[in-house]
Amino acid sequence: MATINPVRRIELQEKSTSGGFKGRSITRYFGTSILWIFLIVMALIEFMPVSWLFANSLRNPAVAYNLPPSFLPTSWQWENYTAVVFSPQIRFLLFFWNSVKIGIITTFFTLLTCSLAAFAFARLKFPGKNILFFLFLATLMIPWTVVMIPNFIIISRLDFIDTHWALVLPALTSAFGIFLLRQQFMSLPEALMDAAKIDGAGYFRIFFLIMLPLIGPGLSALGIFTFLGSWNNYLGPLLYLRTTDNFTFPLAIVTLQGYMGTGNRAHVLAGIMISVAPVLAFFLLAQRYIIQGIAITGLKG
Amino acid sequence: MGVLSSPDSVVAGGLKERKRWNFHWYEALAGYGFVLPAIVAILVFTIIPIFIALGLVFMEYDILSPAKFVGFENIKRIFTDARLGNSYLVTLKFVFMATLVNNILGILLALGVNRSMPGIMKYFLRTTLFFPVLTTSASLAVVWQYLMATDRGILNYLLNQIGLASVPWLSSSSWALASVVIYDVWRACGYMMVLYLAGLQGIPESYYEAAKIDGADGFQLFRYITLPLLSPTAFFCVVTSIIGASQVFDNAMVLTRGGPQDATRLIALYIYEKGFKGFEMGYASTISVTLLIILLLITLFQFWFSKKWVNYE
Repeated sequence: MATINPVRRIELQEKSTSGGFKGRSITRYFGTSILWIFLIVMALIEFMPVSWLFANSLRNPAVAYNLPPSFLPTSWQWENYTAVVFSPQIRFLLFFWNSVKIGIITTFFTLLTCSLAAFAFARLKFPGKNILFFLFLATLMIPWTVVMIPNFIIISRLDFIDTHWALVLPALTSAFGIFLLRQQFMSLPEALMDAAKIDGAGYFRIFFLIMLPLIGPGLSALGIFTFLGSWNNYLGPLLYLRTTDNFTFPLAIVTLQGYMGTGNRAHVLAGIMISVAPVLAFFLLAQRYIIQGIAITGLKG
Repeated sequence: MGVLSSPDSVVAGGLKERKRWNFHWYEALAGYGFVLPAIVAILVFTIIPIFIALGLVFMEYDILSPAKFVGFENIKRIFTDARLGNSYLVTLKFVFMATLVNNILGILLALGVNRSMPGIMKYFLRTTLFFPVLTTSASLAVVWQYLMATDRGILNYLLNQIGLASVPWLSSSSWALASVVIYDVWRACGYMMVLYLAGLQGIPESYYEAAKIDGADGFQLFRYITLPLLSPTAFFCVVTSIIGASQVFDNAMVLTRGGPQDATRLIALYIYEKGFKGFEMGYASTISVTLLIILLLITLFQFWFSKKWVNYE
């Protein structure tokens, strides 16, 4: 409570003149301190596993099991990281590349298909538009467990089992993304499009050169979440990938834990840290933006 | 596209034509073109699969041999499958606990973080509270496996330090589900916090000022302004939590693999097991369709219910 906002200051003054200030302030500060203790305890609980992960990924594998646990690094054994990355049995850099590749392709196509469709739903008139849009919205209510088995059958008929196509193809668009971007397009002034039309621009030009650059925040929010969704996807790779060389990060880490057994905990933790670190770094830089993105996408979904 | 007029008639009939259909043929064509890629993708990987799933309800299929029509066998089996009943019970408990704890913590955290405090403090709190949301649930479940180990686990070590007995977090069937809930809350409560924070910040400051002038105290402000105006947000968050929690897979799959003795066999794990371990795709689809029906009913009920207790401005 280092700063008191103006409203509260006025309030405090009023209370003091009315005489009831003292009693109120004790309960107020009691409540405030409970809230603060709660916040700090929660922050510690949320932070502890990640800091334990980091500290232990840098411990000597021989003492990684030792208690008491360390939540701050006690040694800096970066060899754990090089051991995982350059291990001859597990091709870690390959897994990294697989995850990055699938993430980028998925994100690119999701943004493309979603923004095209969203623009049409927001700004163009064509028969059946409302029915189509309703159809897209209705698919949001379908649990993924329902389409899991049919998709597996389709993918195996297309002969894409154990290829990255199996992960990319079902993720080429997102009904949620279309809904989100449609809201963004609708918030742009109508006159903008009319002006471009009068100047003789075609719909494709209007879309790419005028409308698309204006929905940057929506696009980047959708892009971040699509990429993260792909990066964190565990079930898809679990269902479709068989050859170790095709594995993505999450699958590789769960396998790494089993493969190396319990003996090399520090190595498993180093592997997890490598998969978490890029996300953490990105989040530290773009924190405000990501949280705003969640607020937009969440509340309008 | 039979309804589209030919280019000639547009030139000839100009305005009149446009008024009749309320669209221009070129604009409509562009519209269909823009929507096409998304339509194809959603058709092949969402809409056709729904019909396949519905068809599989009456089939026996193991992917290798051709599908066999079995009539209502799968549907009959649902009512006699004790493990399915158990799985739904486990899912119900999980959804209830996860939704309740996530939303209560979400509101409290949002109220806390929304207070005026130094910028650096705000940044620190938001980062630590929110970061777990972005991490890979499967990988962090591996970390939590180490934390929750019965012997030499970190949580039990901390419990022992303050004089409490060790808890068999993942190895006892009475604790395993609670452990999966704890892990879920650890990952998801930051997300709820952000949603509630957005809701809190959407309440106009002037309402509070007006109430304060009328002499309302802190609790009254919360009870009569914050709570009612937060109810649309709370409604949205509860609906999202329920629908999300009933489909949780990664957490339980990595943390406990559904065990011990089906204690954490959430419905998504059971469908996965039936479909991809037993290759009973017909029966697995039947179960997934029951889940679809249940979720649709819940959604309808919630929207009916929302009219009673949500205050939209």
